[in-house]
Amino acid sequence: MRLNIILSLYKFKIKSFFGAFRASKANLALLLVYIFSLLPSAFSFSIMIVDAVRQNGVNIETYIEVLSAGLSFLTAFILFLTFRGYTAFEHEQNFVFTSPIKPIEFLIASILADLTTILVFIYPLFAIYTLIVLWLNLPFSSAILILSAMLIFVFLLFLLKSSLSIMMSLQRNLSAKITISAMIFLLLFPSISSALNLPLKYSILPYPSTLLAKILVGEIFGLGFQPLDFLGLSICFLLLASLFTAFSRENFFPLTRRVPFVSPFDASIRMQALKMERSIKIFSRVPMLPTLNLESRSLLAFLMKKELIRMIREGSLFTVIFMYLIISFIAAVISAYSPQDPQSANFQPAVFIMFFLGTYSLIVPLILISNWRISDFENLWVPITSGANMRAIIRALLYDFIMVSSAIPAAIILILAAIYGINPLMALVLVASTSIVGCSVNLYVMIKSLASKRRGVSSALAGWASMLLSALLLTPTYSLIFLSQYLKLSENVHVLFAAVILLHSALVMRVFSGKTEKNIIYLEF
Amino acid sequence: MNPIIEMVDVWKSYDGVQALRGLNLYVQRGEIFGLIGPNGAGKTTTLKIIVGLLKMDRGVVRVNGVDIGEEPYEYKRIIGYVPESVSLPDYLTVEEFLMYSGKIKEVPNEKIRERMNYFISLFELREKRRALIVSLSRGMRQKVAIASALIHDPYLLILDEPFIGIDPVGQHILKELFNERVDEGKTVLISTHMLDTAERICSRVAIIYRGQNIASGNLEDLKQISRSGENATLEEVFLKLTEEAREQPVEETVEKKRSIFGFPRRGVS
Repeated sequence: MRLNIILSLYKFKIKSFFGAFRASKANLALLLVYIFSLLPSAFSFSIMIVDAVRQNGVNIETYIEVLSAGLSFLTAFILFLTFRGYTAFEHEQNFVFTSPIKPIEFLIASILADLTTILVFIYPLFAIYTLIVLWLNLPFSSAILILSAMLIFVFLLFLLKSSLSIMMSLQRNLSAKITISAMIFLLLFPSISSALNLPLKYSILPYPSTLLAKILVGEIFGLGFQPLDFLGLSICFLLLASLFTAFSRENFFPLTRRVPFVSPFDASIRMQALKMERSIKIFSRVPMLPTLNLESRSLLAFLMKKELIRMIREGSLFTVIFMYLIISFIAAVISAYSPQDPQSANFQPAVFIMFFLGTYSLIVPLILISNWRISDFENLWVPITSGANMRAIIRALLYDFIMVSSAIPAAIILILAAIYGINPLMALVLVASTSIVGCSVNLYVMIKSLASKRRGVSSALAGWASMLLSALLLTPTYSLIFLSQYLKLSENVHVLFAAVILLHSALVMRVFSGKTEKNIIYLEF
Repeated sequence: MNPIIEMVDVWKSYDGVQALRGLNLYVQRGEIFGLIGPNGAGKTTTLKIIVGLLKMDRGVVRVNGVDIGEEPYEYKRIIGYVPESVSLPDYLTVEEFLMYSGKIKEVPNEKIRERMNYFISLFELREKRRALIVSLSRGMRQKVAIASALIHDPYLLILDEPFIGIDPVGQHILKELFNERVDEGKTVLISTHMLDTAERICSRVAIIYRGQNIASGNLEDLKQISRSGENATLEEVFLKLTEEAREQPVEETVEKKRSIFGFPRRGVS
């Protein structure tokens, strides 16, 4: 095993993943926005945990059970990923696997690189950890123990994933699949058994997830050091390390499965475009309706139809419908389990679902516009070199985005309103406003980020920035909706608020669509 | 008659790297003009500036007498353009894309149908007319892009490496098409690495090197400029001129502007 090779591979992987940072300085600024925007959530979550610890008479076993279940689900998900076998990117297969590099060197570099990249995304966990340690005034030994246990568990997951993925690559047979399926079942069974009122609980099982949960809860609640749990977790780690060492001796390189390279910081859309090609092939299997023809009444109508066809054939429309179904399901679950506060005796789940839909519809414009960027941005050379009416093209895009992102939640809201006999006005206004502002701002930010000097800005970070800007511009909408729901106002005032919100949204759309039109002609290809 | 394209002292840089250094270029009406040059010489940048996909840093470009810096939209109505790496909407069928292309160029519906059918037949795309573009080979995509560029019957056709990926039959059809257009008094501007093809089909060529037009004219003119022998081919002339230019510092590369008109209609030689 050569350390210099491992280091070179590690550096290469990190540079590939974070490459976009070198392409544009704007990415660094956007990363800072991302980091700071998550801090308030980390702060609130830490307060919640500290409050729970300081409460008297808490049932510690419940916390262990819930935490174990969450960590077991994570482990089961990792196991599920191993069904594909060991995956590698095209450039790794072409350049790394054809070089005199040993599997163990590649595996260690991969684990270290994965760990580094994951740390960027789970940084709020470290913020939460630090705040809890400080606020609960935990001893230094507890702080170290918590950190060590978490790191051991993370490494354990990586070792498990690598080992079983190699196993699947080497033996693509039924027994390997049954082994992994059985492990997933064992990990998830206690949560199912609690739903069935069976006496099998995570807290009595020696799963790594349970051991970690016991260490964390024990140290945070000041129950003292649990040597057996720590020893158990260490033994699990050592067993998996041995398994990993055994599999790393196998030459699995020729058996790896190629996957497209995807990094949220990747400014290039080549790989996403390849994925989109696959989507188009899948969605085009269904009958291609509607089709584009020359009979449209105007250029705008023709272009709107073309964009709608794109959304159907590349799967954007399906994604939006699927997402709204998930949002509706989550909202229904939350409202079903919400405690019935005596002050809100007239709490209506349907009203909650309606406003939940409206709030979360801010994500939909981002999905629609990101997909448009991947599948159609590079095709803008056609209208730009044709002297085409760019205003009509931008309007067609914007109207379609607004129509798709608002029509589906509006339909759900109208159905709920009809069933429960609720006035849907403000919920519909919320959805319309969120869609209008979200689509206008997202499209503008996306076009602006694609100007030649900013071409290196990753779409994930640009999307994050546009969501924050949209949320900021929606402050008047949220404020008026909040007032309309919590103050007993007359219907006339509701109508007035609705008019103000829609006027404000239309103004935002006018300003941002104008800016988009100006910017699109300065795009360079 | 004024040239269809005039580029005077055009400069363009990308992130501090100078792609064009005061390029001058004149393309006459009714000719097939070729831009030749090594990789990174500035050929694609030149074409993209003409069609409005890139903004020049300074200089003047006139297309059909219109200064494109002052009037950057209307002049495009007479242009048909095909880029080097063709990106097309994968989610549309061949027919739908040609309709889209015709619609945004404001071609009447009847004309779109007529020309769409003509090019689908010419490029042997009949079986693929209702197939999604995502299912087409690279050569077929190139043919669809060329059909799209021609859907409005443009006066000036600009193509960046048009023969790459196209089969020999397709290349032959394309060359015939270029000749037909020139016979109708229209102009074709191509960029190519294929010097033998350029020699056979272009009336005149310009050799672009390090962002400058180091020589232009028909083959006889280029032989004079390069002091090559009677039987020299375009490839030999090209290698000699670029070798000479390589030996000079970038700042001192002298642009050998030539305004030789009265060249043969077709074929550099």
